[in-house]
Amino acid sequence: MADVGELERLLKPVQALTPEVNVDEVARRFLLDEHRAFLSLPVADAAGQPLGLISRYRLQDIFMRRFGRELWGTQPVSEVMNPAPLVLRIDTPFEEAATQVTTRLSYPVTEDFILVDEAGRYRGIGTVPQLLKAMEDRLVQRNRALHRTLEDLKRSQAQLVQSEKMASLGQMVAGIAHELNTPLGYVGNNVELIRALSEPLFALNDALARLAACLTDPAGDEEAVARAFEAAEQARREADADTLADDLRQLLDDTGYGLEQISELVKGLKDFSRLDRAPSDDVDLNDCVRAALLIARNNLKNRVEVRQQLQALPPLRCAPSQINQVLLNLLNNAAQAMDGDGVILIKTWAEDARVLLSVEDNGKGMPPEVLERIFDPFFTTKPVGEGTGLGLSICYRIIRDHGGSIRVASRPGRGTRFLIALPLQRAAHTAEADSPVDAPSPREAEHV
Amino acid sequence: MSEPRPPIRLMFVDDESRILRSLALQFRRDYEVITQNDPQLALETLRNERIDILVSDQRMPGMNGAELLARARTLQPASVRILLTGYSDLDAAVQALNDGEIFRYLTKPWNPQEMAQTIAQAAEQSRLQRAAPPANDASASDAPTRNVGILLLDSDPVIEARVLELCALGGHHLYRASRLDEAVALLNREHVDILISDLRLGERALSPLLKSLAQARPQALTIVTTPYQDTQALLTLINQARIFRYVLKPVSVKLFERALHAAVTQSRHWQLQPHIAVPRTPEAPRDEQERATVNGLVGMLGRLRERFASRL
Repeated sequence: MADVGELERLLKPVQALTPEVNVDEVARRFLLDEHRAFLSLPVADAAGQPLGLISRYRLQDIFMRRFGRELWGTQPVSEVMNPAPLVLRIDTPFEEAATQVTTRLSYPVTEDFILVDEAGRYRGIGTVPQLLKAMEDRLVQRNRALHRTLEDLKRSQAQLVQSEKMASLGQMVAGIAHELNTPLGYVGNNVELIRALSEPLFALNDALARLAACLTDPAGDEEAVARAFEAAEQARREADADTLADDLRQLLDDTGYGLEQISELVKGLKDFSRLDRAPSDDVDLNDCVRAALLIARNNLKNRVEVRQQLQALPPLRCAPSQINQVLLNLLNNAAQAMDGDGVILIKTWAEDARVLLSVEDNGKGMPPEVLERIFDPFFTTKPVGEGTGLGLSICYRIIRDHGGSIRVASRPGRGTRFLIALPLQRAAHTAEADSPVDAPSPREAEHV
Repeated sequence: MSEPRPPIRLMFVDDESRILRSLALQFRRDYEVITQNDPQLALETLRNERIDILVSDQRMPGMNGAELLARARTLQPASVRILLTGYSDLDAAVQALNDGEIFRYLTKPWNPQEMAQTIAQAAEQSRLQRAAPPANDASASDAPTRNVGILLLDSDPVIEARVLELCALGGHHLYRASRLDEAVALLNREHVDILISDLRLGERALSPLLKSLAQARPQALTIVTTPYQDTQALLTLINQARIFRYVLKPVSVKLFERALHAAVTQSRHWQLQPHIAVPRTPEAPRDEQERATVNGLVGMLGRLRERFASRL
C-alpha cells in the first residue's frame, strides 16, 4: 500500500516532556526556536508511553488568569495537559489518519497529534496544517490520475471504434477477395489455354511462309515444294483450325466476361468505401444499398434471398461511406440472425422531408431484454472474441450525426426490422469522422 | 505406353460454367471430361457412371462441395476426390477431409501447370486404387492380423484416455514420445500404422515430421489433433502430409473415436492385403527451407528403415 509510510513523512521528532516537568518550564520550552512551529508539546513517561499533550492555548488560558502563573507555574504538566490527545500509529494508512484527524478537528486548531510506533511508544508529533497540505497534494495527484485515466479511456474507445471499423473492413475485403477468386481462376486458366492453343497457329504460319518461299524461289525444285506443302498440311491438321476458332472465341468471351466481373467487384469496393469521393455528398441512398449488397454478397450467397423494394429517392446529403457501413452492418446482422435459409427485405421510400430505409429479416429475432440494449456500446450476444459489440452503437451514432433516427422492432422466432429515417435538410450538425461514441440511450428501441 | 489403359474419367462440378468450360478445355485431350454445374446432377452421375476423379467447388446452391465429396466417397470409394475453392472455410476443409477423404485441397485461382500435375497424380492414384478393393469392416474383423501400432504425440487427457481404451480393447501397441528425436527413433524401430499427433511437440513444430512421414511411410495414417483453426495450415497438411483425419481441440469424443476407428479399419485392411496398399502421393513443400527440413527427416526415416528392413 502506498499509504503506509506516508505519516512517516509528517513525523516531527520532538523531544517529549516528562510528566514531572512544571508549567513554567513548559512555557520556556514553547519559547525555544525549535518549537516555534508547534501548537503543542507531547508528554510521555520514562518508558516512552505517551501520556498527553500540552498546548500553547492551554498555557495561555492559565497565564491569562489572575495569579495563574503563580498558582500553576510550579505544578507538574501532568496536572494541566490534555490526557486524551489523538494518538496515531505511524503505520496507519494515510486515508484513515486523515479521517481521524479531520473528525476531531475543532476550530481553532489548538493541538497537534502524537505518533507512536507499533508497540505504542512515542515517536514524535504531526501537525494538522501539514496533514491538510498532504491531503491536498494527494487530491491534486488523484485528480491528475483521473484525468489521465479519462484520456486513456477516450483514446481506447476511439481505438475500439477504429478496430471495429477495421474488422468490418477486413471482413469486407476478405469477402471481395474471395469473390474475385472465381473469375480470376478461369481468366488465368483461359490465358494459359489461349497461349497453348495459339502455338500451332504460329507453327502453321511459319510452315505457310516456308511454302510461299519455296513456291516463289526460281531455283526451287519440285521435291522441296512438295515437302513444304506436306509440312504446311501437317501444321494445318495440328492447328485443327475449325474447332480451334470456336474454342478461342469461347475462351476470349469468357475471359472478357471474367474481367468485367473483376472490374465490377473492384468498382463495388471503391463505391462502397467512397475513397475518391468527398466525405459529404449528394447521394442516392439506393446506390448505397446496392453497394452494400454487393459487399455483403459473400455472407449472403446461396443462403439468403434478398428482396429489394427501392423507390425513387431525392438526393440525400450524407457521408456515403458511413451510411454504407451502417447498411453493411445491418445486412450482416440480418444474415447472422438466420441459421439456415432466409429472406431479407430492403425497402426505401421518401416521405415529407425524409428518406426512409428498412431492413427486415425473418431470422430468430430478439427478446425484449436484448432489444433494449442493442445500441449500447459493447453489448453483444456473440461469444467473447467475436465482435466488439460496437457495430450497432456506431450505426446509432452515424445516423444520429446525420440528424436521423434508427429504430428497431423484433419478435423472437419471427424476425427483426430496422427502420432508418434520414432528413433531407439537416441542421448545421455534421457527421464527425472519428469522435468517440457517446453512450446512446436506447430510447429508440421499441417492442412489438 | 506399354498397354492401352482405359481413359480416366474426370468430373468437374462448379456452379460457374465458365470455370467448367475452362477446365474441360484444358483436360479434354488427356482425360474423359464430364462437367456438371449442379451438385444434384453430379450426384446423379456418380450414382450411374464410374468417375475416377471428382473435382468439386465448395460454395454451390443446394449442396456444398464438402457434402458432395462425402457422398461421392460413399457412392464411389475408389474415386479420387479434390476440393477446388476460392473461399477459405475451415469447416468445409475439415468436412471434406474427414468425410470426403479428399486427395487435395486446391484454391482458386489455380496455376494451370500445377493443376495439370495434380490431376496427373490423381489419375495415378486412381489407377492404383481401382486395382485395390476398398476397405470394409467385414474383411478386417475375422482374419488374424498383426496388432496395429499406434504412436501418440499428444498429451491431451481426453485423447490419451480414448487411445488407451482402444489399445486395451483391440490389443494394439501404443508408443509415446515427448520429443521429436524420440518420435523419429520410434518410427524407425517400431511398426507404426497410426500416428496421432498435435502440431506441436514441446517446442517443436511437427508438420515437417508429418510431411516427411507421408513420403517415407506412405501407409502410416495420421490423425492430427490441434487447437489451431487455420485453414491454410490444414490445406498444406492435406496436400503435403496427406493426413488422414483432422480433429479440432477440444476434441469431441465421438468425432475422435470415429477417426480412430476409421484409421484402425484402414490399417487392418492394408495389413491383410499388403500388395494393394496404395501410396498416398504427397505434394512437395513449396518453401525451400521447409523442403530441406522435410527431406532431412525423410532421410533419417529412410536410412533407419533400411537398417530395420535388413534385420528382417
